[in-house]
Amino acid sequence: MAPRTEQEFKKHVQAGGQVETNDWMPDEYRAKLIKFIEMHGNSELMGVLPEREWILRAPTLQRKLALTAKVQDEVGHAQLIYRVVEDLGKPREQSLEDLIAGKSKFHNVFHYPTKTWGDVGVIAWLVDAAAIISQKALLKCSYAPYARIMKKICWEESFHILHGRDVVLALVTGTEEQRELVQEALDRWWAPLMMFHGNPIPAEDDPMVEWRIKSQANEDARQQFLDGYVPQIWELGLTEPDPELRKDEQTGVWHYTEPDYTELKHVVTGHGPRTAERLELRRISREETAWVRDVVLADAA
Amino acid sequence: MSAQAPPRTELLLQLADDELVLGWRDSEWTGIAPFLEEDVAFSSIAQTEIGHARAFYELAAAELDTTADELAFDRRPEEYRCAPLVELNLVHDWAKSVARRWLYETADAIRVDSLKASDWPELAGLAAKIEREEAYHALHAGMWHDRLTRSTARERFATAVDELWPYALGLVEGDQRRILCEAAGREDVPAVERGAHVEDWPALWEEMTMVRRTVPGGSW
Repeated sequence: MAPRTEQEFKKHVQAGGQVETNDWMPDEYRAKLIKFIEMHGNSELMGVLPEREWILRAPTLQRKLALTAKVQDEVGHAQLIYRVVEDLGKPREQSLEDLIAGKSKFHNVFHYPTKTWGDVGVIAWLVDAAAIISQKALLKCSYAPYARIMKKICWEESFHILHGRDVVLALVTGTEEQRELVQEALDRWWAPLMMFHGNPIPAEDDPMVEWRIKSQANEDARQQFLDGYVPQIWELGLTEPDPELRKDEQTGVWHYTEPDYTELKHVVTGHGPRTAERLELRRISREETAWVRDVVLADAA
Repeated sequence: MSAQAPPRTELLLQLADDELVLGWRDSEWTGIAPFLEEDVAFSSIAQTEIGHARAFYELAAAELDTTADELAFDRRPEEYRCAPLVELNLVHDWAKSVARRWLYETADAIRVDSLKASDWPELAGLAAKIEREEAYHALHAGMWHDRLTRSTARERFATAVDELWPYALGLVEGDQRRILCEAAGREDVPAVERGAHVEDWPALWEEMTMVRRTVPGGSW
């Protein structure tokens, strides 16, 4: 029996049930889905910009091909994700307008500058690693169309991690100067990475978990990231800039310096070091190509 | 590396440099194209062009006792043989970028077709492989050509093609120019020839080699 009331619906999703586009759903669920999935789409699209600057600077043909393909994947993800949002009732053009107007958000890591080729390696390796942990948990999302596209996205992201690790590996086995590029980038990216999964609110207080849009608590995701990647960072002879970071071998829990969640809030509400500049680039390029969309849409009409 | 490569290597370097630099230019649209679908398409085309460049460089590298990467990155800007058409910085101008894609594909099809008859078997084989991939680029460019030509933006597009036409002629030589005029349905005019570089080129060279130049001979 398909759920007909909010109470039945909640029971259904909390028991692991899934929802399709044309199924009945409470307005609150639809609104939360749109907000959450749209932010994911925005993040894929804004995530293109920090790396885009380095597409023209890739130092070998192989790196050029890999980086272009990786960034292309991110644009492709944005396309897929906005499509899901569109099916829920919000057109892609509206999502793009809201993004530029600062009405919707995108992930904290895409508000920061990319300063060297070291950033290219660290982003593809560790930012994508942090992202894939959240995305893998979304494979169990109660909204089935979103969970389905996550399979393709996770598969592609796992290639990005390999590409990133390979870039990092080449640098740490290169000259002292190249090794320093990675260490310096890691030092800068560490704080944004530690904030990436959000403040450690308990799962039962997270409205996204209540509707089983998310099924993983923020802190669980961060612990999984630390457990998976800190040993690899150490293995490459790199260090992270947190003197408090250590794993309690008895409990298996990582301890770390509390990230500055005020900074996180400040950044994701549109005040990051590169927020304004990147949204301006989006706005200008949209404005300059508006005539193309007009022509094509007039054609289609 | 010698500035005067043997004739058949010279041809390879022209082909490779054209594909490399156009691939670099097309990749500038990544993230900012008019549609997400076009963003993906331009990135994909850029990757194929660069893949072709790499294949041509590899053939040339074997002749010149160097590597594809050294040919692609470690020459001085004046040593590149690319046609001025591919050097132009057209990002933000979709009409011109699409006009260049269409003109380039039209000229390249003529050039690649003739390479299939090369008495150098590796080059003939490579040309046949490239032709199969370029067919998709030609479809994409042809679609935009037709769409814009039929649209209210036809004048904007026609102006872009007019402006780039002398540059397009510079991609090919001799009888291939006549064939290009027929294929594009346009008159022969004085071409912007290979050899001179446009003013947009040094900045692109600076950018594409800037990381690599920090550690000469380094592994990346």
